[in-house]
Amino acid sequence: MNMKLIKLGIAALLSAVVVSCADDSQDEKADAKPFASQYKVQEFQPVFIKNATLLTATGEQIDNGSVYFKDGKIISVTEDGDEPTGDDVLVIDAEGKWVTPGIIDVHSHLGVYPAPGVLTSADGNEMTAPVTAEVWAEHSVWPQDPQFSLALAGGVTSMQILPGSANLVGGRGVTLKNVLGRTVMDMKFPNAPHGMKMACGENPKRVYGSKGRSPSTRMGNVAGYRASWIKAKDYKKQWDAYNDSVEAGKPGKKPKRDLQMDTLMGVLNGEILVHNHCYRADEMAVMMEIAKEFDYKVSTFHHAIESYKIADLLAENDVCSAMWSDWWGFKQEAYDTIPENVALVDKAGACAIVHSDSAVGIQHLNKEAAKAMTSGNQMGLNIQPKDAIKWITINAAQSLGVSEETGSLEAGKMADIVIWDGNPFSVYTKAEKVFVDGALKYDRNDKASQPSSDFDLGALKPQENRL
Amino acid sequence: MRYLQALVASAAILITSTVTADTLLIKNAKVHTLSSQGTLDQADILIENGKIKAVGSNLSVTADKIIDANGQQVTPGIFAVANSLGLVEIDALNQTGDSVTQDELSGASFSIEEAFNPHSTLIPHNRANGVTRTLVAPPFGDHLLFGQAAIMSLNGDYHPLIKKDVAIFGSYGERGSNIAGGSRASALKQLQSLLDEAREYADNYEAILSGEYRELFTSLDDLKALQALIDRQIPLVMNVQRAADIKALLRFSQKNNIRLIVKGGAEAWMVAKDLARANISVMLDPMDNIPRSFEALGQRIDNAALLDKAGVNLIFLGQSFQNTHNAHTVRHSAGTAVSYGLPYDKALKAFTVNPARLFGGADTYGRILPGYDAELVIWDGDPLEVTTSPVEVVVDGKLTDKTTKASRLRDRYKDITTDKNTAYRK
Repeated sequence: MNMKLIKLGIAALLSAVVVSCADDSQDEKADAKPFASQYKVQEFQPVFIKNATLLTATGEQIDNGSVYFKDGKIISVTEDGDEPTGDDVLVIDAEGKWVTPGIIDVHSHLGVYPAPGVLTSADGNEMTAPVTAEVWAEHSVWPQDPQFSLALAGGVTSMQILPGSANLVGGRGVTLKNVLGRTVMDMKFPNAPHGMKMACGENPKRVYGSKGRSPSTRMGNVAGYRASWIKAKDYKKQWDAYNDSVEAGKPGKKPKRDLQMDTLMGVLNGEILVHNHCYRADEMAVMMEIAKEFDYKVSTFHHAIESYKIADLLAENDVCSAMWSDWWGFKQEAYDTIPENVALVDKAGACAIVHSDSAVGIQHLNKEAAKAMTSGNQMGLNIQPKDAIKWITINAAQSLGVSEETGSLEAGKMADIVIWDGNPFSVYTKAEKVFVDGALKYDRNDKASQPSSDFDLGALKPQENRL
Repeated sequence: MRYLQALVASAAILITSTVTADTLLIKNAKVHTLSSQGTLDQADILIENGKIKAVGSNLSVTADKIIDANGQQVTPGIFAVANSLGLVEIDALNQTGDSVTQDELSGASFSIEEAFNPHSTLIPHNRANGVTRTLVAPPFGDHLLFGQAAIMSLNGDYHPLIKKDVAIFGSYGERGSNIAGGSRASALKQLQSLLDEAREYADNYEAILSGEYRELFTSLDDLKALQALIDRQIPLVMNVQRAADIKALLRFSQKNNIRLIVKGGAEAWMVAKDLARANISVMLDPMDNIPRSFEALGQRIDNAALLDKAGVNLIFLGQSFQNTHNAHTVRHSAGTAVSYGLPYDKALKAFTVNPARLFGGADTYGRILPGYDAELVIWDGDPLEVTTSPVEVVVDGKLTDKTTKASRLRDRYKDITTDKNTAYRK
């Protein structure tokens, strides 16, 4: 962990209280990083998994495979690997079992819409203005949401928590490691870029149109995005000029900070990734035009029901699509779902992701991917588990900007690993052991290795945990 | 190849929705009879005039159409429950929905089958995925007892009704309390008043109808609808989650001598023995393990397995808000229940024969036996498995067309890179 970042984070936290101690030139810099990750890799013995069927998420299936990991990192991924020597190595014979990278969900609201779903803790949607780029989902995350542990039992090791979709710009999303912590900082994926949630279509125009204000139409939506980017461009210009002046040793007048503009500028600077809720193909195409107009990149279209209609465009623009296997019909912009969507996007060479947006769905992403794979194969494509596993691992990591760190079984990467009790592309298969950064965080066969949140304690009977 | 054949088949019969064959022979299938016959590993099924004529190995008969189902499996068609199939097109567009009413006079008597639209795109979508009949019911309402359920066929024609007024649906717990003024105690009291007035009606209906009786709180239509309930002809299906609330309804049903079915039942596993003893079935979504309210803190993924172990009869709901548009995925939910300990045959029955036994139609549907309706699905593998798809869906003894709006869109866009001018593709 970068110590300087930690200090900056603490400084920012305290600055409101201990004004006299704050170093003005540090804590007010637009690129300061408050709320930085304080996640610590848990110490754990080295682990050697042998005789497993590996889906590496690099396009390979290795039968009789071995994975060796140590100090949080994958050391080797091999066929019939040699057992490492050393007394402290935990050797797991995974005969008949399958091993994949940890599952990654790019679209979750765990923590911001925790269970129980009551108004007092529904903190995911700042529905008070169409542009709320200034809010950060992490400031709503309740680390004691009992749903995190349920997702862990489904093999999910990382996830992006996003603000809701009422707004044109909903705020920053945060990527978490699926570890219980006392603070959200304890859960934050180290050095992962922030996401920025944008939303197309029905939601913003319904929410604000019904309040008698803009936007009330799709054209109003687009005017709203563009007006924001124009402001952000101007803001960036001021800060670029100031930073240049500082660099030249002749500091000019420091621009006034604006939290909303900070987020948008982060996108323009390539530091924050755009995650755009957008169902319809024609709207995705318009959003890609806006990105060109203001020179930013869309990382991923979420709920991309109609990606199959413009899969070629998405491939050309290098934009990921995060999709459900079969959800449809809950609103008009979700009417044209086809179960082959994921497979067709993949076939076009575009980045395809299966996401959940659901506290239940996140626990079964392997099965959702299996359904999407099956639909593709039914129409004559040839998609194997070694391909489809990418939809819920490495492609998701790419979408979140963490594919160098996690998302596949490769030496040097974080040891985020799931041992499944069979082929994960089966309804009967369950995650048996889940490792996050090489540490065992969930074991289905050992109650002591199953986390429970504060909420779970004594919820039904004072002497017991909820489950 | 199968895909090509399906295309050719669907092209040839675009005008009619079913392929007619007087006799149909399905050969060499693994057949889940859902009867005392159990599962037959390699059997033939002869279908004649809409009925199953014979089931056995190596039937030495011929037929107008023969399907070799070697390596494939046959089950009754999926019986989806408690949804709005045919009664909604798009959830967020109220004008497309007919399963909820705010009419103050329509409580227990609210009956939705007349509003059923057989041309809804949801019908072919679910039928092509294995659903052949469904129990439609209002999902909620402004009354404690808010409407009646009906069994509808997904045959797609103008005569979808199989049986009407087969159950009354209602809410207790948080929602019931809210409707009744803010307390479960009020809700229970009002439920009791409803049944008391229904009995008063039974005893005094001539006086009531001629206006010579005191004014009753319940509408006449609702009082009439409640007669089948107090006569035990139909069950009361109650949305209820908390263990203590389930117990309260159990006592209520025994006191009033009515048939109760628990719907939702988040904490039903905690009172499983009581439910088994009282022969009360539970209608639940086996995927749901979210403690989504303070009355559902005990919600858990192995609810179905625990209930079954205690001897409780189960009916499966599909997944939460997709239980209408994707009612067919209930078979995957059943598979998940199996992975958490529910015996396989119990899982299969929970979305086929069990709802027929409770709501009606079990004399002709739900078993692959001679004399039963030929309403079944041929699957290309294990019907509960996520990598399995339907090969053929048989309704009224006929193979149904598997074209859906989604399959048309797929065919229009599957080769997008070779021709961008897609609007003229049919």
